[in-house]
Amino acid sequence: MKNILLTLTVILASLPVLADDNQKITDHHAQHEMNHGEMNHGEMNHGEMNHDEMNHDEMNHGEMNHGEMNHDEMNHGPEHNHGSHEHPTENAKEDVMTMSVPAITTTDDISAALANGGAPVVVDVLGVVCDFCAVAMNKIFGKREEVSALYVDLDKKTLSLVVNKGASLSDEDIETLAKRAGYRIAAIRRNAEALGG
Amino acid sequence: MTLTAWRMWAGVLGILLSASAVARPVSYTGGWTLIQTANRASTAGLLHYSLSHNVSVGVRHEWQRDDDVTLTVIQPTLLAKRWYGQNYQANVYLTGGLGTATDRSAAGLGSDTASFVGVMTDWETRTLFVSYEARFLEQGKLGNHSMHAARVGWAPYTGDTGELHTWLMLEVDHRKHFDNKTTVTPLLRFFKGPALFEAGYNVTDSAPMLNFTYRF
Repeated sequence: MKNILLTLTVILASLPVLADDNQKITDHHAQHEMNHGEMNHGEMNHGEMNHDEMNHDEMNHGEMNHGEMNHDEMNHGPEHNHGSHEHPTENAKEDVMTMSVPAITTTDDISAALANGGAPVVVDVLGVVCDFCAVAMNKIFGKREEVSALYVDLDKKTLSLVVNKGASLSDEDIETLAKRAGYRIAAIRRNAEALGG
Repeated sequence: MTLTAWRMWAGVLGILLSASAVARPVSYTGGWTLIQTANRASTAGLLHYSLSHNVSVGVRHEWQRDDDVTLTVIQPTLLAKRWYGQNYQANVYLTGGLGTATDRSAAGLGSDTASFVGVMTDWETRTLFVSYEARFLEQGKLGNHSMHAARVGWAPYTGDTGELHTWLMLEVDHRKHFDNKTTVTPLLRFFKGPALFEAGYNVTDSAPMLNFTYRF
């Protein structure tokens, strides 16, 4: 039981999808100077912990395995609801941790358009397998006044767009234009997310 | 220039500007595509305009070299179904044609109404390709023809946008009205931007295959 809570903490902290929240957790522990590695987790009641003494940086993260924890015996506090989230196994954790979304593909045109204040958009496109696909989307999206630069990346299977400063191109517009080109979209990312932030 | 010379040049042009019918017979909305094919049976050109992402209308001119019959038809094509995957695309196209067939041979059989129906289907990833097409042509007194063709292809590398894409392909076709009914054609496909070029040789019937597609 000793390592169970340690494992839970470090795996949650390592999940990129929870990066922002986990940074808050780490900051929270650091603020209270606790030494988590020295805790007796078998007797812990997380809801009653004294967080003032925790030191997250000294935990032994290498021994943690969240997939083997017995969550039924844990008490993580009154606000913790296991039914509202999943606890990945070790393998699943790797899948999640390696999951990433492609950022905008930078070409000279796209870099120049971004430098001029354009807004970056990355569109995940389904069915893009050849240069004819790229030609079709270049023709359809390239005619739009809102679009100052674009590039179809066959490797990433994305359409990178830069929307003119002050102009807008809604998700519905993008979906309609992709359909006119003969394709479907899976996701649209904008601004910081499109830049990989 | 004599009629024979004109036909020879027309044949050469067809061979230089030819393409497989399965090279996306419907383009993006508002797009024009030139598809020309030359194989052991015929030399043909199709210029089509895509009214939408799933409907195109074009004009097809075809010279059936063995019979010395020309075919001129209006050819609509419907993209009946497209499957979109993250790493693949698959399509089913239905096509047809209605126009005139004319006997150019010494027999002088004249002209007759011609029509055909066809189906094309393909599945492809960045490195694998499979396709099948069939066409059933009626030309009245000038005879009826059927054709089936299937292809497999493999790309030895995955080219990115704008790079030269190269495919190794093998086509098997079946034409009931030919002496060699079933033949095999290994070919190379080169693909770059809006242009596609294919060159092959029918090893069964000793005839070249040269195809070209350009998308405007």
